[in-house]
Amino acid sequence: MSEGVNIIEKKEIPSGAIMLFGFPDVGLVGVIAASHLISELNLAEVAYLDSKLLPPLIVLHEGLPHSSIRIFGNNTILLAVSETAISADTIYPIMYALIEWGKRKNVKMMISLSGIPIQERQDIEKLKVFAAASNPEMLKMVEDKGIEILKEGYMVGPQAIMLQRCAHIGLPALTLLAQCFFNYPDPEAAAEVLKELANIAGIKVDVSKLLEKGEEIRLRARDVMKRTQQELSKMKKTQEYDIPLYVS
Amino acid sequence: MSMRRRRSIFDIIDEYFESFEEQVERLGEALIERPSWNCRACTMEPLREVMVTPTEVIVTVDLPYTEENTIQVKPIEKNVIEISARMRRKIRFDDFGITHYKGEFQTFHCRTRIPVPVFMEKLEIRFKKGILEIRLPRKHEYTIPIE
Repeated sequence: MSEGVNIIEKKEIPSGAIMLFGFPDVGLVGVIAASHLISELNLAEVAYLDSKLLPPLIVLHEGLPHSSIRIFGNNTILLAVSETAISADTIYPIMYALIEWGKRKNVKMMISLSGIPIQERQDIEKLKVFAAASNPEMLKMVEDKGIEILKEGYMVGPQAIMLQRCAHIGLPALTLLAQCFFNYPDPEAAAEVLKELANIAGIKVDVSKLLEKGEEIRLRARDVMKRTQQELSKMKKTQEYDIPLYVS
Repeated sequence: MSMRRRRSIFDIIDEYFESFEEQVERLGEALIERPSWNCRACTMEPLREVMVTPTEVIVTVDLPYTEENTIQVKPIEKNVIEISARMRRKIRFDDFGITHYKGEFQTFHCRTRIPVPVFMEKLEIRFKKGILEIRLPRKHEYTIPIE
């Protein structure tokens, strides 16, 4: 499944780290949170993803080419982040490759940072964060930390594939989902998800700068959000609003 | 019980062609890739969303840095509204680390097509947390009688 996707390491990768994912999704919650983690924790690029499945696109930083999907890290954290929307038909091979790579590096847990869209979002003062897990032990752990469980429903996107794959291979994994706008970048939701990340994994960062720069982030993220909307539409993201029919 | 309004065949043909032209125009808008900014007009295009409910159409627009008293919403056709708003500060490409384009922006501007008939004159707006919300009551032009 992950054939054709290579992860090129630039630095020595620590064993036993926590692996985080911040990919473009509703409200760009994961990407905004990941970007804040990278700058606050001074995470360095340790690896990048190379694949012909990706669109013919590079990201230029200081005139030099970079993959749009990179892994940043330090001794305790590995953070996979994508700077552009991932097309629906490449999510499976990309996520499988990243998960297999993480497993080879003996990561102790995988956590995906994302959002869950809510209508009338602008009227909500206190955003909730929900969690879903790959096994009952992880579920109990987040419940003990006071996080509400996303009990029933559909999940669409990279975080869905991560949970299912990690459940299959027996790797502890969590998805944290902050209530957010569907189609607008949501730095407040990113701040909430980071607070719960600190609660669960002890990865603490000051989110005040993220909130102060909220308007700048919303302006800067417009184009990535627009591209992400197109991909979310292709992967039928609105299915998350559907009421599920469970067959017991 | 409400009655269906009688229309001539010419009205129906005219409406059909109008609708067809609109569809072509809408498809063109969706397919043509263009930047989200316009250097000549010094404007940026905001993100927006249109939602149709049984009673109204709700348009929301993301307007960071916007001064509330500068927001303008104008109906320019029976199914198109034009939105503009001024930002509190000028935004330059330099602010985003981009040096290969030159230009500065201080205004958001966009036009949005309303997909169903509405009472344009009854539009209501509110602005909260940088999100503009425009509510337009729906116009149910024809009712088919149930016998």
